[in-house]
Amino acid sequence: MKNRKRLFIIAGTLSLIIFLVVLGVGHRWSSKHVYYITGGQPHPVDCIPCHVNTQRSGFAGRFLKKHYLSPLNIAVSPDGRQLYVIAQEGNALLVVATAERKVISKIGVGERPHSVVLSRNGEIGYVSNQWSNTVSVIHLSDQRIIDTLNVGSGPSGLSLGPKGIFLYVANSYSNDISILNLESGHEIKRLAAGRNPCSVQFSPDGKTVYVTNLLSNPAPFRTSPVSEVTVIDAISQQVVQRKNLSSAHLLENVVFTPTGDLAFVTLARPKNLIPATQIERGWMMTYGVGVIEQNKEGKAAQFLLDEPNMSFADPYDIVITPDGKLAFVTQAGADYVTVFDVEAVRTLFSEATPANLATYANDLDLSSRYVIKRIPTGPNPKGLAVSTDGKRLYVAERLADRIAVIDTEIMEIVETIDLGGPGEESMVRRGRRLFNSAENTFQGQFSCSTCHPDGHEDGLTYDLTGTGRNLANVQTLRDLSGTSPFKWNGKNVSIYMQCGMRFSKFLTRTESYSSEDLDALVAFIKRDLSHPPNRYRNASGELTPAQLRGKAIFERTQTNDGRSIPSKDRCNTCHPPPYFTNRQKSDVGTLAATDSPVVFDSPKLSNIYESAPYLHDGRAATLEEIWTKFNPEDKHGIANDLTKLQLNDMVEYLISLEAEPSWKEE
Amino acid sequence: MNKSVPKFSLKSALVAICLLAGSLFWINWDKKPLISQEYSEMDQKISDKSYPIEENDKKAADTNQTTSMPIYNHWRTFTTRDGLPSDKAHCVRVDGDRVWVGTDNGLALYEKGRWYTYTVADGLAHPTVLSIDVSPITGDVWIATMGGLNRWSAGRFDKFDQFNSGLINDVVYGVACDGNDVWAATASGVSRLNTNTGQWTIFNVENAPMHEPWAYSVSAKDSMVYIAVWGGGVVEFNTRTERWRDYRDPDKEMEIDLFPDDGLVHDVTASVSYENGILWVGTYFGLNRYNGSRWWGYFDHDSGLASNFINFVKARGSVVWICTDKGLNSFNGKTWVTYHKIPNNSGGEILISEGATVVEKSAYSTTIAHNFVLGIDFQGDTLWVATAKGVSRGVDQRESTIQSP
Repeated sequence: MKNRKRLFIIAGTLSLIIFLVVLGVGHRWSSKHVYYITGGQPHPVDCIPCHVNTQRSGFAGRFLKKHYLSPLNIAVSPDGRQLYVIAQEGNALLVVATAERKVISKIGVGERPHSVVLSRNGEIGYVSNQWSNTVSVIHLSDQRIIDTLNVGSGPSGLSLGPKGIFLYVANSYSNDISILNLESGHEIKRLAAGRNPCSVQFSPDGKTVYVTNLLSNPAPFRTSPVSEVTVIDAISQQVVQRKNLSSAHLLENVVFTPTGDLAFVTLARPKNLIPATQIERGWMMTYGVGVIEQNKEGKAAQFLLDEPNMSFADPYDIVITPDGKLAFVTQAGADYVTVFDVEAVRTLFSEATPANLATYANDLDLSSRYVIKRIPTGPNPKGLAVSTDGKRLYVAERLADRIAVIDTEIMEIVETIDLGGPGEESMVRRGRRLFNSAENTFQGQFSCSTCHPDGHEDGLTYDLTGTGRNLANVQTLRDLSGTSPFKWNGKNVSIYMQCGMRFSKFLTRTESYSSEDLDALVAFIKRDLSHPPNRYRNASGELTPAQLRGKAIFERTQTNDGRSIPSKDRCNTCHPPPYFTNRQKSDVGTLAATDSPVVFDSPKLSNIYESAPYLHDGRAATLEEIWTKFNPEDKHGIANDLTKLQLNDMVEYLISLEAEPSWKEE
Repeated sequence: MNKSVPKFSLKSALVAICLLAGSLFWINWDKKPLISQEYSEMDQKISDKSYPIEENDKKAADTNQTTSMPIYNHWRTFTTRDGLPSDKAHCVRVDGDRVWVGTDNGLALYEKGRWYTYTVADGLAHPTVLSIDVSPITGDVWIATMGGLNRWSAGRFDKFDQFNSGLINDVVYGVACDGNDVWAATASGVSRLNTNTGQWTIFNVENAPMHEPWAYSVSAKDSMVYIAVWGGGVVEFNTRTERWRDYRDPDKEMEIDLFPDDGLVHDVTASVSYENGILWVGTYFGLNRYNGSRWWGYFDHDSGLASNFINFVKARGSVVWICTDKGLNSFNGKTWVTYHKIPNNSGGEILISEGATVVEKSAYSTTIAHNFVLGIDFQGDTLWVATAKGVSRGVDQRESTIQSP
């Protein structure tokens, strides 16, 4: 009995020792693992944030999913009694009674709705569905969808002609503008826009239509971005002018003054050609409005809304009161609505000499002469709508699932309307808020979203490390899960490392994210950022004959003259499914003289057609150029024997590649 | 044994001798000062008579509609002195009130009485512009150059070449817009760009009955696309059925047209124009007309055609305009009108012919800039002509036009 007791004690002690050893070793291993994953940033040894909260699908994915609404854009009924709110994540149009301050109806629309406009009498609403490539036509009184109209890819901004016959739709993914005849219910034409057209606006006289383009037009390598305002003649329904705004970018929205003498466009001014380390000097990114005169001369200028020591990042929407006196701009990265005096800008604009006018675009002091007020809002303010009488301004506080109501006389939020979202902020939601907030960069100069609008990429090449070395073409953040490592040189083994303290040292020049914030940011990026449906893929999922021929070339093992292609020189070796990356580094012969001697991580290829320009420094304007110009020695796969027909087929296949359809699962 | 019709038959030789004699006469006559009071008066006294048409002209048998044949007797020529980037104009395209001209040294735009020039520095793919078309839907201007294809849209040039796009070859001889498609005829085949999807499709000897790679011209209308393939005849593509059909010279003879009206007169085709269900084909050895079931061939020895060497054809309604190396023709299926510049003189002559018979010859103080004519387009009642020595603008100042029953 005594022996048994002794044995029991010994066994227990040994078990405890083993347990402690295992625990100790495990903890040490886990610590090392966490240290490796975060790149040395202090972080608790906690498995849940990284291994559970980032799951898109499965039990964890479903359990953690919160059904947020994310109001994006708003329209107000002619009588002011109702608001129509786009719930971007709710795939719905919310009808809000302004007096009762509550949602009275929810109308299901297509995938990822973007904008809403109303017919003049307020009876019909038109909603663009960015991921469905359609416009929903809704009879508002009985809240019934009466038609669904096909348009181009990624419909976003909408504008209805004065007679209510023609609807103009900005197709943000196919880079064009659909003109719909609402009487026949058909698209009558598509006009070439700039890059990522996002908003459309008829001039007050109905004769002209302005279209803003989010991304700058393709420009020669290492030159400043030039963004386009596409001008359409509403009579001929043809593009008659392309107003270029130099060094401008992210032209989100446009508004005309009530008299129609000026048009205002929200914009950003990135300084991507200078070292990003210059952020500490306070002008890496600036934000403001472009002003375009509506006369024969068509003079244009840019006015900043920033202040010398404070940026107001990511301006989104802009409206002007019916009396034409005040303009309101949502600054989505700063959580403010900025109010400026239209007449003050008009005076500056009209009285300046051309030389002076050119300096305004970089004058951070100037805003004190026209900015009247900064109204703090909830997180990520986006769409605006002003009531017909001009007394109320409605602001979509996207990440609060809320509408703020601003009294335009006192210029303060007087009430809010809760749209009925989950209420609590999940980790992923917190990550989304951090992603869209500029509060973590020096003087609030930019958010993650500034260079990765909508989680994607801004199409620019940045000088990140200074002195013109190691130029980096911004990469998409969509569908990153399973595609590590990150950065062009593959030095970041995880998103934790990518977004952690290295990032803050190089780019944000502030303290790095806390471990909780980093967890949230990573969870958001891995879970919530997805490519839209691939527009080159048949609905059935089957490849076209050209895509099938291209697939055979992508997977070929022999050249056209029968020579065997070594495994390392085959396309599908470095770009195998499901993510079309082998997550390894290769020398593809594109190292520039100014690059450090590195090899490059094989990038994923899903929805690659959205990611021009290509290669690590953006030197290839198109997919074709990767092989026709920048693969002279066949280091980027053996391809120089391909005929043009074969190359075209291969490009057809490449643009059809898509990642796992996680967005469908959710 | 079938009777053959050699191109250089005895009859042809006689015609040639007559033409030579006529030419000698003209040379002598030309020594007189042409721009005289006599010709100024002639400008004012242009005959307005109608011309009898031979009822049983077998080559016009299918035509039963009245076709007016305006006579362009008043011309103005534009050269580098007026603002053109070069005198050598390869093509001209009317775009509403504007006129585009492709030269060997840039793209010119005539607008509100002024010429503007676009060069490579502005975004033009290559200085040599060979063909231009305007999309009636979008108003975008598509420009075929020796270095790729351009889209000019409200001042913005987009460049498509074999390196940055699906365009099969940078030497683009012809361009045509058809709905949302843009067709580019190149030195290696044809490319089609769907402007709605941005997708390119290539057609060449590998996947279409083109026989030769050199696509010189493309004409697209009413779901039918016709391509002149130099050495390969004409290929037809039906965009509804996505089916191809090729048309070759049935006799396959390089020197003679063995059987008249049996098909293409020659496989070396330079230009096609499809209008009103009629296909017109310009070759280096004569002209063809095809109505979907029957072919007609026309040569300089048996018709009013100025020359068998045809650079460009373009139909407007039932009238086709033929740009040759020896002047400009119009033809409505019955009557031929020839515009010819008198060498070393600013004046020219207009010949009106029925078959090979000249029924009237008139001289004018103004005419086309040069007899080597490369392109033509229509701006209402005004004619724009691209030649090797400038661009000419012609108007009809006669009181009436020729009417063909």
